[in-house]
Amino acid sequence: MLERFHVPDQEIILIPEENLRNVTEQIFQSQGMPEKDCKLATDALISSDLRGVETHGVSNMVRAYLGAFKSKNINPKPNWKIVKETPSCITVDSDAGLGIVVAPQAMEIAVEKAKKTGVGLVTLGNGRHIGMLAYHAMIALKHDMIGTCMAACSPRMVPTFSSKKAIGTNPIAYAAPADKLPPFVFDAAMTSVAGNKIVLASRLGVPLEPGWIADDNGNPIMEKVNMKDLDQYEDESKNLEERYASGYISSSVDLLPFGGTREMGSHKSYSMAMVVDVLAGILNGSKTAPTGEHTGQGHFLAAYSIDAFIDTKEFKELMDRYLQSLLDLPSNSEGKEVVYAGYIEAKEQEKRGKEGIPLHPEVVEWYKKTSSELKIDQLI
Amino acid sequence: MLERFHVPEEDEIRVSSDKLRKTSEQIFVKCGMSLSNSKIATDVLLSADIRGVDTHGVSNMLRNYVLYLSEGSAKANPNWKIVRETESCATIDCDEGLGLVVAPQAMDIAIEKAKKTGVGLVSMGNGRHLGMAGYHAMMALEHDMIGTCMTSSTTNVVPTYAAKAGLGTNPIAVAAPALNKAPFVFDAATSAIATNKVRVAQRLGVPLAAGWITDEKGNPIMEETPLDIKEDPDKVNNLLQTPVGATRELGSHKGYSLGMVVDILGSILNGSLAGPLRTMKQHQNHFVAAYSIEAFTSVQKFKEMMDEYLQALEDLPPVEGQERVLYAGLMEYETETERKNIGIPLHPEVINWFKNICSELELDFDMTENGGNN
Repeated sequence: MLERFHVPDQEIILIPEENLRNVTEQIFQSQGMPEKDCKLATDALISSDLRGVETHGVSNMVRAYLGAFKSKNINPKPNWKIVKETPSCITVDSDAGLGIVVAPQAMEIAVEKAKKTGVGLVTLGNGRHIGMLAYHAMIALKHDMIGTCMAACSPRMVPTFSSKKAIGTNPIAYAAPADKLPPFVFDAAMTSVAGNKIVLASRLGVPLEPGWIADDNGNPIMEKVNMKDLDQYEDESKNLEERYASGYISSSVDLLPFGGTREMGSHKSYSMAMVVDVLAGILNGSKTAPTGEHTGQGHFLAAYSIDAFIDTKEFKELMDRYLQSLLDLPSNSEGKEVVYAGYIEAKEQEKRGKEGIPLHPEVVEWYKKTSSELKIDQLI
Repeated sequence: MLERFHVPEEDEIRVSSDKLRKTSEQIFVKCGMSLSNSKIATDVLLSADIRGVDTHGVSNMLRNYVLYLSEGSAKANPNWKIVRETESCATIDCDEGLGLVVAPQAMDIAIEKAKKTGVGLVSMGNGRHLGMAGYHAMMALEHDMIGTCMTSSTTNVVPTYAAKAGLGTNPIAVAAPALNKAPFVFDAATSAIATNKVRVAQRLGVPLAAGWITDEKGNPIMEETPLDIKEDPDKVNNLLQTPVGATRELGSHKGYSLGMVVDILGSILNGSLAGPLRTMKQHQNHFVAAYSIEAFTSVQKFKEMMDEYLQALEDLPPVEGQERVLYAGLMEYETETERKNIGIPLHPEVINWFKNICSELELDFDMTENGGNN
């Protein structure tokens, strides 16, 4: 994440991982989720916070999920099932269960299939929020596999040349193991920024970059903007709590495919987002965002067994050499270190595991209030 | 493609695809290819021209292939083979054969596997140029499958924050069938533009847009850059390119990372060196996949939903100044229909190249007549 999205140092409250895990599990339990599911869901959220992906951690998501439980948008006890199966593929009906609960279990099935045929693919319909995609893709790593995860989301993206939004931010994640270096873990929305980043920017009061959002008529805004300076986005910063309560963090801000404009390649990210709609939506029979009948999220998971293609040891050693050769590239005039996706997150994970997870005071306050209301343990 | 990349109408010479096909096949045969290999290679090449993907058709590519085959950097009749295999996966050694010959055959293997297990994946090492990646992905369509193709290629893209190239343009193609509508066919470099577009821009004398290339220190150039038409072609080919997104703020780290995915699946997974470790310019490695739709859902239902989805996107009101909202593959499909009828527009410089190479290889030159196949 860009520096601006992190909680400023002077405001940070460090919370030990165990405390956050305990209270978050209890919050899920209060919503009627089975204990095993509470652990799965909490692990996915805390994993985001540990890796520094605050957009998808407890700060934004727990209250969003609570809102969605309240409005019966999420089924706390999903009876998810396999509706179609071949040796390498399955289609799952998630029964309106949270993706952070159903997807890790579906990924285990993909891994089992990959052990037998070399690859396992899962498309999941009728799902709900999946959290940080990388979490699910990374499940493949410990099995010496390459993992993929995609999510077909509600409309937020303005397709290239369109005057209105029609497609989700539709993130894509890939994880591939290395030997000694941190694994390659890519996880990104096909919009310039993830929807949750807009929420973070609201909380932190930082500006949005050129090429991130579109104006009312779908035109890319190619200058820096503060959301509070634009009437049309006023509710974005004001009514955050209200929008949390209504379920997912819906938003009035329309996002651009990454690249921003056609000349800068927005048609490529728009098309990649379409690939996600096809694999994570249409392939399991879900209605897609542009047709206007979209609900929840569709998901797609894959596990590729490395051993099916090459000796695992050789692959991992080659990965180390490849990743190191990228880290070794000299920096351009900006003077910033050349990294690869997953590198900073792995360092952050190590650090936060030891020091605790930095939360914004507003988030700690919310936990305090919620714990009292639900009569569960306090964070601190 | 952006308008600037098309041959201006006043310059174009229309040649029927039949004539272009016949001549191209003969040129490949003269370069040592078996008749069957020359037919496969030509079909890949012509498909690019017919679909309006001029960057990857005869104009830019045939002369390169002639060079590779004659200098021996690519084998005309490779003895490619499967070196590892499971029910759903295969690893292939391309034996220095052109991707345009080996990849269609690898895709056939992926499709056969997908018929049995639901999916087929093939990673291909020791390869050479692939042609238009979309061609190979599209092979899945007639089998009611979704196709993917990626190529891990020559290093000329500068990773986010780096001062020198570390990745190839590493294109990704995905094709998915619809019922009555043009299929979704996405095919794009994970760099801002394909290297071939730089060559086309040079031939046409049009400038490169902001965010496409970097300066010598790897800094993205965020203004239009004119290309000198007389510039040394090698210098043009070696321009440093940005990942799609151009700058970190606009998402270049996403383009860079997608490029890495292609290196991992297309190269490392078959034991090839990738990225900054690459040693040979002509070396390209590939990854193809076929996903059987039937394995997941009813094919009829899938295709009907695709029609509905694609129509919904086409029906979006366009932004001011644009005629319509497109999806990948739509314009190419329309061009295909047109060019099959009225021929393929070539630049006079390309016609001239054909004239010279035909004379050099002692082939009849038969491309002067305009028009379609009748």
